[in-house]
Amino acid sequence: MERSEIISTTKKFLSEEFEVAIDSIQDDKNLRETLDLDSLDYVDLVVLIEENLGFKPTADDFKSVETFGDFYDLVEGKLKMA
Amino acid sequence: MNIMLIDQAKIKTIIPQREPFIMIDGLLNADNSGFNSTFKIVDTNCMLDGTSASEGALVENIAQTCAAGFGYLSSLEGQTEPRLGFIGAVTKLEVFGEAHVNDQLDTRVEILNTFENIHLIEGTVRCNETELLKCQMKIVLA
Repeated sequence: MERSEIISTTKKFLSEEFEVAIDSIQDDKNLRETLDLDSLDYVDLVVLIEENLGFKPTADDFKSVETFGDFYDLVEGKLKMA
Repeated sequence: MNIMLIDQAKIKTIIPQREPFIMIDGLLNADNSGFNSTFKIVDTNCMLDGTSASEGALVENIAQTCAAGFGYLSSLEGQTEPRLGFIGAVTKLEVFGEAHVNDQLDTRVEILNTFENIHLIEGTVRCNETELLKCQMKIVLA
């Protein structure tokens, strides 16, 4: 999956699930703040990532994720390893 | 007749709830994919509305099935006290029918996903093969 496809897929499922405007999901924006995630929401996020991107992230994976750009980096890296 | 992993006499060894708030009689099976429990509604149940069990009682029955299942799995790893946890969220609740005094409930919990100590589960309460209630829960283990 190319990075552009990762971004478009991610924007679609995140905006639908967490009810945020698709335009608010920008590479340099903070993922947790933009999506208004609490700790319970992360299990939903894991389910969505598995369903839409095909891998299951761990808690350690999220340590390097602050912005959406970081998240796309994580996804790219995981998909390359798969 | 079902063979139980944990029967009514020992259920308090794996769940933290106590009378009169025990909404599970026994644990039938438990593994990393989910749990099955059994529960007979008696006329002294504290969550009766007349002769019917409240929807809250059935939701609590699902939660205590989780408590028993996770408690049992923890006991296999050497934990000697019931494992504490709480309901983080209840979603996708569907009610199909009522449970009444003397009904024998069969409850199945499927573990859908886990992130750290948070488990997303789907619970289904049945009586005589008929679905009474289904929901998803986020169970947070302490």
